[in-house]
Amino acid sequence: MAGAPCPACGEPLGEGFAFCDACGVELAVAARTAAGAVPSTVDGDGTAPVGSLGRWVAAPGPPDEATCTGCGGTAFGVEGYCDTCGQRRPAGPDHSELDLPGVAVVTDKGRRHKHNEDAAGLAALPGVRAAVVCDGVSSSSRPEAASHAAVDAAVPALVSALRGGGDAGTALRTAARAAQAAATLAGGASPGGNPPSSTFVAAVAHADTVTVAWIGDSRAYWLPVPAGPPAAPATCLTVDDASPGGLLRWLGADARDTEPHLRTFTPAGPGLVLVCSDGLFRYRPDPVELAALATAEVPDPAAAPLALAQALVRFALDQGGQDNVTAAVLPFPPQEP
Amino acid sequence: MTEQPAFTAEVFQNQYLPVGGTVVDAVVTVTATGGVPGGGATGGGSPSLAEIIMVDCSGSMANPATKMSEAKRATVAAIDSLRDGVAFAVIAGRTAADMVYPPVAQLTLADGRTRADAKAAVHRLVASGGTAMGRWLDLARSLFDRYQTDVKHAILLTDGRNQHETPEQLATVLRACEGRFLCDSRGVGADWSGTELRTIASALLGTADGLSDPAGLVDDFRAMTQAAMGKAVAEVTLRLWTPAGSTVRFVKQAFPHVEDLTARRVEVNARTGEYPLGAWGAESRDYHVSVAVPAGGTGEELLAARVSLVSGTDVLSQGLVLANWTDDTALSTKINARVAHYTGQAELAAAIQEGLAARDAGDVETATAKLGRAVQLAQESGHSDTAKLLAKVVDVVDAPSGTVRLKQKVEGVDAELANVRSVKTIRVKNT
Repeated sequence: MAGAPCPACGEPLGEGFAFCDACGVELAVAARTAAGAVPSTVDGDGTAPVGSLGRWVAAPGPPDEATCTGCGGTAFGVEGYCDTCGQRRPAGPDHSELDLPGVAVVTDKGRRHKHNEDAAGLAALPGVRAAVVCDGVSSSSRPEAASHAAVDAAVPALVSALRGGGDAGTALRTAARAAQAAATLAGGASPGGNPPSSTFVAAVAHADTVTVAWIGDSRAYWLPVPAGPPAAPATCLTVDDASPGGLLRWLGADARDTEPHLRTFTPAGPGLVLVCSDGLFRYRPDPVELAALATAEVPDPAAAPLALAQALVRFALDQGGQDNVTAAVLPFPPQEP
Repeated sequence: MTEQPAFTAEVFQNQYLPVGGTVVDAVVTVTATGGVPGGGATGGGSPSLAEIIMVDCSGSMANPATKMSEAKRATVAAIDSLRDGVAFAVIAGRTAADMVYPPVAQLTLADGRTRADAKAAVHRLVASGGTAMGRWLDLARSLFDRYQTDVKHAILLTDGRNQHETPEQLATVLRACEGRFLCDSRGVGADWSGTELRTIASALLGTADGLSDPAGLVDDFRAMTQAAMGKAVAEVTLRLWTPAGSTVRFVKQAFPHVEDLTARRVEVNARTGEYPLGAWGAESRDYHVSVAVPAGGTGEELLAARVSLVSGTDVLSQGLVLANWTDDTALSTKINARVAHYTGQAELAAAIQEGLAARDAGDVETATAKLGRAVQLAQESGHSDTAKLLAKVVDVVDAPSGTVRLKQKVEGVDAELANVRSVKTIRVKNT
């Protein structure tokens, strides 16, 4: 198979490689995506403890072989509606919760939207935790196809790059490239004028630093929870790629500038990284208030990251749940169970 | 080198339906930008054009003499504006149709010599005889039929009514001409019929208008030929996909003038039909689509229609009309501003036409009611041109309530102008 082109980026592949060396896409995922199907749950090593190779999980997305809930048809147009009766193609589950040792994420469709177009994934390697959140752009066609494809490609690419002890910045760039390649393929062979699109934000926590990468307006926050010296003050680690007119950068077949922003942050003490979609931070954009909220909900998130992710999503729903909500919690420094 | 214009389609609708709701209305704005500029040089792939000018040469054109002289000047201006290589002909319309140029029944290619010969022939025209527009159109059709071009466009100028044939005869000819060529119709002077001009333009996908002052013909003829030469895509169709179990209530062009396209549907398959739109240049038009779909449950989302502009096998642009069922009445009771506006403009056109028809039939009560409603709608929608035309036909007592009195003395041409321009619409601002 040596020299066969990567289905995502077209570069020649090394023999027996599970990931493309050029773009980082996991080849099994890329092959399925390229064939027109959208990957669903991709689970690394099941529930085994974090071994030397690490583990990763991603929230289940839309089914590969969708059946129309209106008429039972199986043919859908590129915009994601049944060719026969016009019903929208089924999206993935409305709510998902994932946790690995020392990192967790909860995603929910909210109270106003009909589908959950957010996608999320987690990775745990020895001494390293990572989370990826992608928010499907709701004005694009089948946004959940882009967000899930992006996460399903980015998380294994991230794990693969970090596995050999690679630096977080390089690993995140590789993951973002894999996410863009997969989001592009999610549109299929003829993606139409308004192809599936998504934001991208990912965080990697090492023992001494936190590195974040993003494209679009999903965010990563540093929250010193529980508060106490010598913690660094709460801050938003990302800067939205957005103007009052809308999103400036995104992933997808019509995206032009997809190189991620990168930021490395060295916390002065323990705390957590919150990686989230705008469905959460629209209700508490201020980092200090967000930290106060987290502290009030779960005083010791390092021991229970899933409990905090659940509490934050519940908070957004109680505030009205105007949008899909996703909250990933990475306690810092990463702790082995 | 020819550039295909870039087409965009924008959908304006309230996609939220109450539980049990079935009717989905949307306005689709289709805009083509770029492409071949009007009157530009002939290029490799630009659509070829054939142009026929039908000039009324009936006896009445001599009274007053300026009608004939201005019609000649306008025809000369149109000939002058034809670029080299356009196939053209000039027809004199009387009780029969006579070739003016070329002298034999065929089209000829425009160049310096043929344009000069054609203008000389136009200058020799003499007004005499009657009016049978069906004969003129029939000759135009036979000339076009023998010629292969992408865009076939005609101008029909008359100063009177179609006296020397029956409406049925004209209708038969129009049916034979539909889809074969496009035709803009114009009335000059005071004695033409707005209904006849609209009938011709509607069947042949053109525009209708009247000019009470013949001096306006020159600019108008030049504008029509330049618009014809500016067409960059020869045959555009609106393709409408609707889901199983739905019914297309209507498809109307809503801007720049009202044209009901519903009956022009050509079935493609069980869920898709096509509506011919003629040729496109750099222009923008609005279409109002109304579809009845099976009622959905709360939270369901349905693709109620896919509106595509198609040229041959190319999809130029596409817009989606959606339906979402909600129990939130704050969402479902909103009416989209554009949909409401064009619903009003279509009602305005119908009120003017029905009011004028009632007035001609001597039904004062119906005429007063319909024209009063028209005055009210024109005022509400800010359609000041129509309001001015209506004020020549009725005395407006109170526009907001639509209170009017029929004028005792009306210039015949004012009623015909109100009629022929009744279908012209205005756009609301983007909000």
